[in-house]
Amino acid sequence: MHMRVLIVEDEPKMAAFIAKALEEEGFALGLAKNGHEALEILLEGVFDVVVLDVMLPGPDGISVLKQYRQRGGKTPVLLVSARGHVSERVDGLNAGADDYLPKPFVLAELVARVRALGRRTPETTSLVLRIADLSLDTVAHEVRRGGEVIRLTPREFRLLEFLMKSGARARGRMAIMEAVWDYHFDPGTNLVDVYVRRLRDKIDRSFDIKLVHTEKGVGYAVRNPS
Amino acid sequence: MTLRRRLSLWYGVVLLLCVLCAVLATYDELILDAPNYSLHEVAIAHSRFRDVLHDMVLVSVPPVLIGLVGGWLLTRRALRPLERMAELAEKLDEHTLGERLPSEKRDLEIERLAQVFNAMAARLDGSFQRVRDFTLNASHELKTPLAILRGEMETNLRTWRDLSEEQRSQIASQIEEIDRLAKIVDELSFLVKADAGQLRLALEPVPLHELVQEMLEDAEILAQPGGIEVSLQTCDEAIVSGDRQRLRQVLLNLVDNAIKYNAPGGFVKAALQSRGGEARLTLLNTGPGLPESHQGRVFERFYRGPGERGGTEGSGLGLSIAQWIMQRHGGRLEFHSQPGLTTVTMSLKVRTGSK
Repeated sequence: MHMRVLIVEDEPKMAAFIAKALEEEGFALGLAKNGHEALEILLEGVFDVVVLDVMLPGPDGISVLKQYRQRGGKTPVLLVSARGHVSERVDGLNAGADDYLPKPFVLAELVARVRALGRRTPETTSLVLRIADLSLDTVAHEVRRGGEVIRLTPREFRLLEFLMKSGARARGRMAIMEAVWDYHFDPGTNLVDVYVRRLRDKIDRSFDIKLVHTEKGVGYAVRNPS
Repeated sequence: MTLRRRLSLWYGVVLLLCVLCAVLATYDELILDAPNYSLHEVAIAHSRFRDVLHDMVLVSVPPVLIGLVGGWLLTRRALRPLERMAELAEKLDEHTLGERLPSEKRDLEIERLAQVFNAMAARLDGSFQRVRDFTLNASHELKTPLAILRGEMETNLRTWRDLSEEQRSQIASQIEEIDRLAKIVDELSFLVKADAGQLRLALEPVPLHELVQEMLEDAEILAQPGGIEVSLQTCDEAIVSGDRQRLRQVLLNLVDNAIKYNAPGGFVKAALQSRGGEARLTLLNTGPGLPESHQGRVFERFYRGPGERGGTEGSGLGLSIAQWIMQRHGGRLEFHSQPGLTTVTMSLKVRTGSK
């Protein structure tokens, strides 16, 4: 069953590349260009996830979202906004959004978030994550590669866990910052890059098959290269 | 000399002149009006005049003194509205332009001055507001085109199959620049909102020592590539009332600067001390230092150190933001530097009545 995603976006170019990226994932798409249209389509209730821009002609994204939730709408909503400060993120989530992405965003990140929101059942995370001969035990906090135990600091462990849980897909620096450091602002450091470099050292250096990957313009991923 | 003192002095002079006039009038009455007096009579008249003069001086001292004191008090009363006006005008800066002078209905001259002053403040307030609105709108409007640019480039990078490695690197580098631009726009809108009083802190009891330890962990990692040694000398327990996210932002910004602007193989020494109700974090590093003339400017917006212009890192807004955050917490951020040694101190009141 294809996941159906409604994009609410008045900027044609923006809608175009979001649609293109989501189509590549095999999602079925709908498009609404203003607040009224969005609310109408939403209330028909045929979509699994909504990507909602805050700045819209007619009622803006926040009021569309509030009305939709007041009328009992339950579809998960990813709010996209040109504003990006912590308070606005909180306002968006308070209005009933399930996730929030400030503009400009990493497109791959938007796809990852939409996919995560679309999972009807909570992630069936097994206690041990595995990619190739790398395993991460979330309970025992143990990482092994090829049977050998690799020592990681708590931060490195959380980083590896986050990247492994993201599947093969690359995650943006800000998403990593949010998930691993709980920073909701761009600290303007190369903290993520330095940590990934260390992680790569520990996990890949003595192995032929490299699992930590840099995806240019997007971010980082842990996956089997084959 | 104050206006009040000068007015009182003039008033005193006027009173003395009055007394002098009275003396002259008496002299005229008693002596000059009697040209045909005999010598004896003249002597009597002079003696009478001296008596009268003596009495007059005695009698006029209290009124003159009362007059002087009264004048002193009177000028104070008359000038008080002016002083109030000056006090308010002194306090007035871009953040308090909304304040107005109270109306002085009883004194029309002062009332007019207050009105003129208020109108001027209102005009200033309006222009500041327009500049803020403009910057805020500009930063909002910039984000959508930036998002489109970034999204389309990322799409190209993903879908154009026959790109050479060099072309890929080029697009990736362009994306990096877009991210940098977006960050500057973000920081600008942060500061504009801060100026406009639109940002609120989410205050809660925050264990500053924990945040500092956490910061040190990241600092050690950040410092490794440059071979810089990071150490935490003391770390007193200090619970402060603060916004956790914002304080972490300040800490990371400070430590990141201390590592970035450092000599290869240098050090960063951090110490958190809690003394006399104040938590004080000192970051000492072997940075190149700034000339005296530049030190006061590090918190200025878009300030970059000498020779730093061409660098690609940072926007020159980080420290301004950090300082704003500290000020809103009722704390301070100080910067001292000498060649080869830079100290940044962050002070914050310790939360009372909590543990």
